[in-house]
Amino acid sequence: MSHALFINDVASTETAERTFVEVAEVWVPEGDRLVWSSGNYGALEAFQSASEKQSFAKGEGLPGKAWSETRPVVLKGFDGSYFLRTDAARAAGLTSAVAVPIFAGAKLKAVLVVLCADDEVRTGAIEVWSEENGLLMLDDGYYGAAKQFEWVSKHTHFPRGQGLPGGVWAASAPMLMRDLGAGYRFIRAESAGQAGLTTGLGLPIAVPGGKTFVMTLLSARGTPIARRFELWKARGAGPDGAKDALLTDGICQRDGPLWDDEKEKTVDAWQGPIGQVLGSGIPLVKHDTAAPSAGYPAMVALPLYRDTAVSHVVAWYY
Amino acid sequence: MQKLVVIGAGMASGRVLETLFETDPSAYEVTLFNAEPRGNYNRIMLSPVLSGEKSFEEIVTHDDAWYAGNHVTCRFGEKVVSIDRERKIVTGKNGELAYDKLIIATGSSPFIVPVEGRDLPGVIAYRDLDDTNTMIEVSGDREARAIVIGGGLLGLEAAAGLRLRGMEVTVLHLSGHLMERQLDEAAGFLLRKDLEKRGIEVMTKASTQKILGTDKVEGVELADGTVLKADLVVMAVGIRPSVEIAKQAGLAVNRAIAVNAQMQTSDPDIYAVGECVEYNGTLFGLVAPLYEQAKVLAKSLLGENDAFVVKELSTKLKVTGCDLFSAGDFAEGEIREDVVLRDPALGIYKRLVIENDRLIGAVMYGDTSDSNWFFDLIRDKTPIAEMRDTLIFGPAYQGGSPLDPMAAVAALPDDAEICGCNGVCKVKITGAITAKGLTSLDEVRAHTKASSSCGTCTGLVEQLMSLTLGDAFDPNAVKPMCGCTALSHDDVRRLIKAKELKSIPEVQQELQWSTPNGCAKCRPALNYYLVADWPDEYADDYQSRFINERVHANIQKDGTYSVVPRMWGGVTSSKELRAIADVVDKFEIPTVKVTGGQRIDMLGIRKEDLPAVWADLGQAGFVSGQAYAKGLRTVKTCVGTDWCRFGTQDSTGLGIRIEKFMWGSWTPAKLKMAVSGCPRNCAEATCKDIGIICVDSGFDIHFAGAAGLDIKGTEILGHVDTDDEVLEHVVALAQMYREQGHYLERIYKWAKRIGLDEIRRQIMKDHAARRAYYERFVFSQKFAQIDPWSERVSGKDKHEFQPMAELEFAQAAE
Repeated sequence: MSHALFINDVASTETAERTFVEVAEVWVPEGDRLVWSSGNYGALEAFQSASEKQSFAKGEGLPGKAWSETRPVVLKGFDGSYFLRTDAARAAGLTSAVAVPIFAGAKLKAVLVVLCADDEVRTGAIEVWSEENGLLMLDDGYYGAAKQFEWVSKHTHFPRGQGLPGGVWAASAPMLMRDLGAGYRFIRAESAGQAGLTTGLGLPIAVPGGKTFVMTLLSARGTPIARRFELWKARGAGPDGAKDALLTDGICQRDGPLWDDEKEKTVDAWQGPIGQVLGSGIPLVKHDTAAPSAGYPAMVALPLYRDTAVSHVVAWYY
Repeated sequence: MQKLVVIGAGMASGRVLETLFETDPSAYEVTLFNAEPRGNYNRIMLSPVLSGEKSFEEIVTHDDAWYAGNHVTCRFGEKVVSIDRERKIVTGKNGELAYDKLIIATGSSPFIVPVEGRDLPGVIAYRDLDDTNTMIEVSGDREARAIVIGGGLLGLEAAAGLRLRGMEVTVLHLSGHLMERQLDEAAGFLLRKDLEKRGIEVMTKASTQKILGTDKVEGVELADGTVLKADLVVMAVGIRPSVEIAKQAGLAVNRAIAVNAQMQTSDPDIYAVGECVEYNGTLFGLVAPLYEQAKVLAKSLLGENDAFVVKELSTKLKVTGCDLFSAGDFAEGEIREDVVLRDPALGIYKRLVIENDRLIGAVMYGDTSDSNWFFDLIRDKTPIAEMRDTLIFGPAYQGGSPLDPMAAVAALPDDAEICGCNGVCKVKITGAITAKGLTSLDEVRAHTKASSSCGTCTGLVEQLMSLTLGDAFDPNAVKPMCGCTALSHDDVRRLIKAKELKSIPEVQQELQWSTPNGCAKCRPALNYYLVADWPDEYADDYQSRFINERVHANIQKDGTYSVVPRMWGGVTSSKELRAIADVVDKFEIPTVKVTGGQRIDMLGIRKEDLPAVWADLGQAGFVSGQAYAKGLRTVKTCVGTDWCRFGTQDSTGLGIRIEKFMWGSWTPAKLKMAVSGCPRNCAEATCKDIGIICVDSGFDIHFAGAAGLDIKGTEILGHVDTDDEVLEHVVALAQMYREQGHYLERIYKWAKRIGLDEIRRQIMKDHAARRAYYERFVFSQKFAQIDPWSERVSGKDKHEFQPMAELEFAQAAE
């Protein structure tokens, strides 16, 4: 059997100089503070060393704010804000950030922070949607140069089950959409197409109190958020907590479709980076050009919780 | 090289070719016909293409390069019109072609419901890429509405995909619950809830009458007259094997093309594979057996021995976030045993069906992670006795020591939250039990609030009590409603209101019923509680009623029925008596009897005559006396001041007024009333459920009498001055009983349980409470005062009245 190559809905070139996200980092609670756990800073070594030394109390800085407010937070413009690493960020050219708290029930497991650099070229979108009066409204988002798409998104809402955010909201499961511009014929499709957005990853973010948040990562061809996406579904929690995860969907610029409806692909807890996230329940940012993951130097793997158990692990590679 | 011609480039024939080329690429020179203008793609993945979660390119199984690499001559977009078996020639639209071996893989075509309007533009089936693209195209119009006819696998996948694309979607399903072939009622309910959560409207028992529209589809009309707007109608009600070409060629065809275990048709040089074949009377629609057939067929072509065997199948739905699984046989049976696990918080339902120490069926919703393991147990017929107790928890719980739930509770830390609703932790409960000497669940609820709201932690709280009190705790102090639940009637009634549960499957799921569908004890009770608590929203489930209530008559020992029309207050007329006499003569009713409730009973009526009897009685102005109902029966009266020298009030008029006000209402058990015009009590009001004794100064209201297996005089509720007050007090009392009584609990037993003083306090002293009860009763009557006889005369539940070979037992005979 041979799969047709279909690469045009993943980023079309691996030679793009810069990806949409410059920095990804994970902060975990230790005592009453958040401390650095893992991260990928690319060439931004100064920002990296400033970050690794940092820690945050609840409510302090961006990670601490996501913790105290128990919700994803989008921050655009660091000057004069609660962002603690403003000088280092400015020096690195970073201008915007999104912090996503990962809760197991009421307990904070980690905060994932991604930071982006503003310019007139890179497009993509990292959005946070939340429920208001039975509809998903845009909380905030970072779009890079996709200004028109940003405007359209701010004036769009999603009922249950409709579109990527509404679908993720209703399904309580991550979804990976193809053809955002070409084949996706309604809500935002036209402007998504114009912005060159192709692949969309939607994630349900569980927070205490039952409020619904959906985060979307919309990837564009020239400046992709990732070149490979994977969706894993956690299975079979036994008395000793042992479990594995099943690859339910995925696409890769090199390998094509990663799903296989006949042969299941699974990883056990603690087996490889996905297994590590499954076992620990804590997100992982991996950056290792010597030992690439699935052929890519960097990856982010994020556990998604349903109640107090990991229900899915999503990973993106770049 | 031999010439192999294949008709149809679907998944089955594609797998034949793959296997053939992998084994011996030089065995055949292959020509592949396909009516669709494209090659093989993974058709079962069209649903995610529709939803946008896959691209078509991803689901292409064989692209041009693959066909070229394997030297397959592709004649795509060309339909084969005939097969000449003598000459061994197939004829396509573009000409003839000789074969040595031929494979028919024509698949199936969608079944189109034969209703008016089915050919209108915008009415499509869901079968191939073109259908999928049509749906994607229509979904591009803002505000577009789609109706999917058929709530099976394909229909629901289409509905979910269209919804994701932004359409307003309604699913019409003929049967009582979705995917009824694969799911039981409980799982069907969860699926429905899940789809509704996605904004998809689901209508069950919905029969499509016609499709509306002039130039294109505009709507759908249902058999009950409902009209729904639509810009797109998708028919997904089933498939039919495509066998025309085989029939024309004179091959043996039953429901589909007959093949042997080597996939050979009645012509040894012609094979068939896929959805167009029938093997040993079985048809095939899922992909797993098709691939098995393909493997066997490829071997047969190469002269190797293999035989196709029909195996167990399992079902999964490709809608992201809808996790369901079904395999094997899950019908209920006498020697079968169900193991049910429900987790309402996570929306999980698991049911295993066991027969003779083997797992024979499994239905799961919400968590299907162990489905492969269960499927293997079914397929391999593995003995399960040793893991019976922990089987439903899945493979992770097997092999070790049996799970001890008490140990898990004991191991919980003191600050573990037990009651999420009220934020009560473990130590608060155990501390209160010890410090205050609590021994019952009610006491723990009163002192700690644990388990007093939604009640889902009740089991945990009981385990904590058991741990803390040891033998002093008697979990059976609370009598469960039936074997399907550990909850008492009171708990169930409280939780139905607290959690706003509005259907029987919802109650069973949320309150963790241990059986899939309940039993003859709990279903009628739940049906009553739901009717009483949600009169405007709950649709009565007649299947949960006993036979007398289903047919609105009383079954007799010989299988015939008795019919009692209502005679308001026991008063009749010559016109009514003539009408009854005419009915008795016309239907040769053998016995006519005056009842103790002052009305006339006609006994010995055949079941199939019931609707005609009611029609004639209805013409004369009668309605059902509901002599079968757990509801208001009679209001017996004496003649009162109209005729009696001793009468103090118009007892007849009051009785008629009460009966006309209250008829049709359902109550926990039957409710018999009487109004006597003076203390001489000729209407025997002082042994009724509710009785009124008229006196010079007004009315004494009595209640809680009994004159059946138990004999008991009434208790005094209180005295009122006017007949308006009588009505309000009596109605409020009946409503209080309706809201608090246990199913089949007569009013005197209820009163004893609740306490006479409490009832008097609420009805006689608390004016606001009384008024509120009264108003709730009045509201519920809007939905209750429908004469069931006239409904049945007009055809409702007509199947109940067809002559039957088997008679049902009178489970609730009076």
